Amino acid sequence: MNFLRGVMGGQAAGPQPTGAETIQKLCDRVASSTLLEDRRDAVRALKSLSKKYRMEVGTQAMDHLVTILQTDRSDSEILGYSLDTLYNIICNDEEEEQDESEDENTQKQTDDLCALFTEKFLQDPERITLLLTLLEEFDFHVRWPAVKLLTALLKSQGAQVQGIILVSPMGVSRLMDLLADSREVIRNDGLLLLQQLTRGNAAIQKIVAFENAFERLLDIITEEGSSDGGIVVEDCLLLLLNLLKNNSSNQNFFKEGSYIQRMKPWFEVGDDNSGWSAQKVTNLHLMLQLVRVMVSPVNSPGATASCQKCMFQCGLLQQLCTILMATGVPADILTETINTVSEVIRGSQINQDYFASVNAPSSPPRPAIVVLLMSMVNERQPFVLRCAVLYCFQCFLYKNQKGQGEIVATLLPSTIDANSISAGQLLCGGLFSADSLSNWCAAVALAHALQDNLTQKEQLLRVQLATSLGKPPVSLLQQCTNILSQGDKIVRRGSKVQTRVGLLMLLCTWISNCPIAVTHFLHNQDNVPFLTAQISENLGEDERLVQGLCALLLGICIYHNDNSLENYTKEKLKQLIEKRIGKENFVEKLGFITKHELYSRAALKPQPVFPSPEQMLFDHEFTKLVKDLEGVITKAVHKSTEEDKKEEEVKKTLEQHDNIVTRYKELIREQDAQIQELKEQVAALSSQHEQMQATVAQQLSQIQQHKDQYNILKLKLGKESPSQGDGSQQNGLQTEELSQLREELDELRKQHAVLQTQLAERDALITTLQSSSQTTESPAGGSDNTELLQELEALRSQVQSQSSEISHLKTERQELLTRAEAEPSDTAPPSASAELESRLAAQTSETEKMKRSVAELEQQLAASTSTAAILQTEKEKLQSEVQESKKEQDDLLMLLADQDQKIHSLKKRLKDLGETVEDEDDLDTKDQTSDDDDEEEDEDDK
Amino acid sequence: MAYAYLFKYIIIGDTGVGKSCLLLQFTDKRFQPVHDLTIGVEFGARMITIDGKQIKLQIWDTAGQESFRSITRSYYRGAAGALLVYDITRRDTFNHLTTWLEDARQHSNSNMVIMLIGNKSDLESRREVKKEEGEAFAREHGLIFMETSAKTASNVEEAFINTAKEIYEKIQEGVFDINNEANGIKIGPQHPTTNSTLSSSQGGHQAGGGCC
Repeated sequence: MNFLRGVMGGQAAGPQPTGAETIQKLCDRVASSTLLEDRRDAVRALKSLSKKYRMEVGTQAMDHLVTILQTDRSDSEILGYSLDTLYNIICNDEEEEQDESEDENTQKQTDDLCALFTEKFLQDPERITLLLTLLEEFDFHVRWPAVKLLTALLKSQGAQVQGIILVSPMGVSRLMDLLADSREVIRNDGLLLLQQLTRGNAAIQKIVAFENAFERLLDIITEEGSSDGGIVVEDCLLLLLNLLKNNSSNQNFFKEGSYIQRMKPWFEVGDDNSGWSAQKVTNLHLMLQLVRVMVSPVNSPGATASCQKCMFQCGLLQQLCTILMATGVPADILTETINTVSEVIRGSQINQDYFASVNAPSSPPRPAIVVLLMSMVNERQPFVLRCAVLYCFQCFLYKNQKGQGEIVATLLPSTIDANSISAGQLLCGGLFSADSLSNWCAAVALAHALQDNLTQKEQLLRVQLATSLGKPPVSLLQQCTNILSQGDKIVRRGSKVQTRVGLLMLLCTWISNCPIAVTHFLHNQDNVPFLTAQISENLGEDERLVQGLCALLLGICIYHNDNSLENYTKEKLKQLIEKRIGKENFVEKLGFITKHELYSRAALKPQPVFPSPEQMLFDHEFTKLVKDLEGVITKAVHKSTEEDKKEEEVKKTLEQHDNIVTRYKELIREQDAQIQELKEQVAALSSQHEQMQATVAQQLSQIQQHKDQYNILKLKLGKESPSQGDGSQQNGLQTEELSQLREELDELRKQHAVLQTQLAERDALITTLQSSSQTTESPAGGSDNTELLQELEALRSQVQSQSSEISHLKTERQELLTRAEAEPSDTAPPSASAELESRLAAQTSETEKMKRSVAELEQQLAASTSTAAILQTEKEKLQSEVQESKKEQDDLLMLLADQDQKIHSLKKRLKDLGETVEDEDDLDTKDQTSDDDDEEEDEDDK
Repeated sequence: MAYAYLFKYIIIGDTGVGKSCLLLQFTDKRFQPVHDLTIGVEFGARMITIDGKQIKLQIWDTAGQESFRSITRSYYRGAAGALLVYDITRRDTFNHLTTWLEDARQHSNSNMVIMLIGNKSDLESRREVKKEEGEAFAREHGLIFMETSAKTASNVEEAFINTAKEIYEKIQEGVFDINNEANGIKIGPQHPTTNSTLSSSQGGHQAGGGCC
């Protein structure tokens, strides 16, 4: 419209030069003028017209302006004007300021213009690249408008511009460099540019983080005075939020970079918290949001857990709790701090334990939990604050059996402390107060103390309440159902539905999965009739949810029923439904819960957020319970008795199957153990095998070494005069054996000597005996003796011959040794010298000679090996001889023993004949002394 | 938490060569046989010790797919070390090394330490690229080389640590300008920079002079 009017108006005006005409002229000048000054003036004029005639300048001049950017790179002034002009025609901001009073239509028109010109500018993506290169210009008049123009383009066509920047080399890095610019204006506008750049683009967010954005931004925040800083701090925080929200990779980087620790000082607010500026509130709000982004329940549990741990370790949680208990903190900051603390402690045992230990600085000190709950059930507190406290309480109890136990314990008769207000008292007070919001919050809070905790569900059944004077105490369960059924009679503030929904959610959570609680509930004769009446009645729209919840409660009574009450067995309840309500009707009513418009909203996330108090109906954890139960209850209601029985049977067979499976599992476990054992064995064996291989390799290498030595020797032999290297080696081997043999021989010889002397003695003894008994001796004995003597003589000669043989061998061996030693030493090199002399002689003859000498050597080698073999056999012979002589020696010793015997008998005979013979003992001693003497002699000989 | 130095690494190479698995093995000491394609870039970190000094490694694991190439290029400039990975059971991944290397050399700072890694060394039976070929390529282009298995964790520690050692040596030699964070190196908080100690000592001097 504006466009048309502008064009039409321009034509109609006629005589006076219209804006459009002037702009056309200026454009021509920009395009055609050869003088830089002329072009510069024209662009300057265009700039000044660009706000008033945005449409005209945009349509006619844009291409010319871009051309200037390309061609007049050297003149920063004209670049600046051109960029400014482009900014004016694309950007909306200043128009907005001017047009504030004007109607929406105009606003829409400027928006259209912005979109139109952005599109026009982006027709050539290269123009973004051009802008990126212009950012490299240090001149303020170029860089600043370039930053602003790029920001405006990103604002208008974010995704497209992001795409172009992402793929242009170093595009993001260049923009990151803006944060390092010493001119604050550029740095601050750079922040705004990066905010737009990182919006909703994870890839760019990661690159910006990679370029040390966290470090820089945190530094700027510190420089600017943290929460006391101005809007720059806010911009930094917004950019940080952009980088971290829903970006797990960057969150991980933030945590790993130890940046969580750097957030702690942000929350060190002083005692005097009055008079916070609006900016400070905004900054702190964003800071708290940043903490929450890191520990959000939607993040992966592992990542959240590690951040929670870190926040406790660095003292951030403690700092937040200080704000929680401080006075004078603005309400919305307090609320957000409660929400933040909630998420920092949610599901983290250490943090929950710490939170339970926090006390409010009052006298006497009260636990923070109690102080917070007081606000929750106080109807004068703001709604959002009460929601935040409920969230905090829920997060404190989330996966916290210990905390659940502690809360329920404050209600039990044995642990009640009458002097101080406890959490339990406050919850009960809220449950039965006249404020429906308090009813709902207290019911949900109590339900969270029972969540997934059978022990506490049973414990809570013990709670008794004193009602009015003179009446017997009533159980908490009973009181809840009483209020439910009498609800209509009590005057309340707020909605009645809210109270009943809260109580029904509490009851459902309480008795689900807890047959004892179901029995308790059914034990009250009024309950089932009340529920059936509620469900079967045809009530208005706003009662539908209550009907659904009643159906759910009745369904739980069937599903978790252990049939311990005769009047209310599963079967009887089912029949009741069929008769009074009808199965289909029951299921339809049950479906009212999930079909409720607020149900899916509550199912989204754990935090209780409601636009208005009336919409506070569903709890997140409760939606999970409904999801779990709806299907199974529908099935349970539809199932007939027979099917029930069948199911029982199936269950039994399943159990059997389970048994079989467990047996197999055990078998598998055993086999696993066996496999493990075998594996170990295999490992041990393989290591052994490796060792063996290693030794084999070693031995092989030794053999190789020997072979090499042999080859070297062979070569030596080839070059030098014949020598018997290997022969000597073999001899060397034999010398060892020979020396061994020699030792053996030495020993044998010694033995021989001893034996000989003994023999000589015996001889002497025998001769004396013979001579002394010549006359009386019988001829037989004489012959015996002579025989013996002869034998001895023979033996002696044998021994002598052996010793001579031994000596012979010794000399032989000596000869061999000397030969072996001498041979390597006489190595005169005739062939080498001959080689030197006959260098001129024909090579053929030389090779022939060589061949011949090799043959010779080989022969020699053969000879030496054969001699070695001969020596070997000789050695063997010697050994066998030694063996023989040993045997003979043994025989000799035997003979000697025999002789001794004979001498004995002879002596006896002599004695019998009446001859005086020397006493045996004397003889023996004599023998011994003589032996000793011999030994001494032997030693002397040595 | 305190560290003497912080090094930034990137892991590059064709898709499916095991870059993300190498990182997971190094940071979490586990192997994930089925891994989704990396989208863009993922981050991981771990502390190591070299020469008695704590060194923090920040590692960006990039997507190998061609369509992400322009995004991953943005990470070259700020990295002190790069692990260039190929798959020993797929020759084409080895053949593409030249392109990767050109890309890296063009966009990175000249001192970036590049470690060539032949991954999946546990799949010896399916090997298509000999170890010697990898060694030769590394020698030719001045890279460090190693064969690793993200599955069995063989050489994974060594690959990351040896790269860090090389960077550390370059710092000791004064090759890296450690005060320029764009090089991918940062000095830890407990490790005062030479500059700051210098200025503080100068400050002390001046104060002393003023006193006299």
